[in-house]
Amino acid sequence: MKVTVVRSGGFAGIERRAQSDSASDPMLTRLVGRVDLKNVPPPGRIPDQFLYEIDIDGDRATVGEAQLHGPLRELVHHVLSRVH
Amino acid sequence: MRCHIVPPHMLERIARHADDPALRDRARRTLALTSAHFADRRLTAAGAPAPSEDFVPDRTIRDAGNREELPGRTVRAEGAPACGDETADRAYDWLGATFDFFEAAYRRNSIDGAGLRMVSTVHYGDRYDNAFWNGEQMVYGDGDGVLFTAFTGPLDVTGHELTHGVTQHTANLEYYGQAGALNESMSDVFGSLIKQWHLGQTADRADWLIGQGLLASGVGGVALRSMREPGTAYDDPRLGKDPQPAHMDHYVETYRDNGGVHINSGIPNHAFYLAATGIGGNAWEKAGRVWYDTLTGGSLAADIDFAGFAAATVQTATRLYGADSVETKAVNRAWTGVGVPPKANG
Repeated sequence: MKVTVVRSGGFAGIERRAQSDSASDPMLTRLVGRVDLKNVPPPGRIPDQFLYEIDIDGDRATVGEAQLHGPLRELVHHVLSRVH
Repeated sequence: MRCHIVPPHMLERIARHADDPALRDRARRTLALTSAHFADRRLTAAGAPAPSEDFVPDRTIRDAGNREELPGRTVRAEGAPACGDETADRAYDWLGATFDFFEAAYRRNSIDGAGLRMVSTVHYGDRYDNAFWNGEQMVYGDGDGVLFTAFTGPLDVTGHELTHGVTQHTANLEYYGQAGALNESMSDVFGSLIKQWHLGQTADRADWLIGQGLLASGVGGVALRSMREPGTAYDDPRLGKDPQPAHMDHYVETYRDNGGVHINSGIPNHAFYLAATGIGGNAWEKAGRVWYDTLTGGSLAADIDFAGFAAATVQTATRLYGADSVETKAVNRAWTGVGVPPKANG
């Protein structure tokens, strides 16, 4: 299983991208298991907020930072923290 | 829902027709506070303030205590002495400078033109690398200290965020695609103008940078954006390279960042720079006036594109200075210079 997170937007508009593979990331499958990408609210158009695009094996959703809560937030921060 | 002791229609009457300017002012402010999102546009047009009326800011600084929760605890209200937290006190000062700029340059009374209370929350999140406008207030992170310093530092960041509020209350440009890039550009243009006004710089003396001082030491770059030379503000292995185009030929098609609003804003940003330096003098006086009147004039469509906005600025310049004026020619040339030639009789 592969998860890719791309953060875009923000005042700086600087993109950050990270990917994790369950083959080398033992926590990934458990974190993904608690996430429902189909029930993510639309990101809204809040000036300068961060937007997170999450891709789980080809299933994709974009969420605004104001709606990034719970298991999805844990997953996003987990994946982003593995690169930087 | 909110309860009103004085019904809004009565407040509107007072705001528009009362003889006492202080009373009008108070009524406008009450209205602004109770119906920030709805009544203000109509009212601003109808209830123009007396020329001698002195506008007074109404600032509130809140502290999120490094959590990502709004609005946070109030640490300084309008008129209160410095609270001792350097970040909170700077946010207070920069809100004041931004308010003073809009009053002095364009006779605008706060974000909505009707004295709206300005709220900033500082110390948002843990080493949070951002600042934003959430539709009601400004929010600032402290930065991670490695790539970014505190977002309360540079005056133009506050100017940028507050201008998102001005745009929301006027043309309400859709935050997507070209209209979104124009929305971003308005914030950069007036953010830079506020800084230039504060420093007393003419167009040829200004740095035309956005977020100068925001990059931590050791990061390769001078700022986050350059209006003079979009695409040259930073180049760093950790941040990448400034991706902004300065010309329509290099417009970036993307669905990320709401259609590249922070990328393609380089094009209208550079057009403003060309117009301002083409006219010369203080950029907020003429080029700024043309952009401000265009943004707030009430005739822009929310989903306007670059070409439509370019034509609208030429119309505004023509109305203000005449079709054959130096100013109108400079505006025309500026848009042609970024590959967005305004229509012949636009």
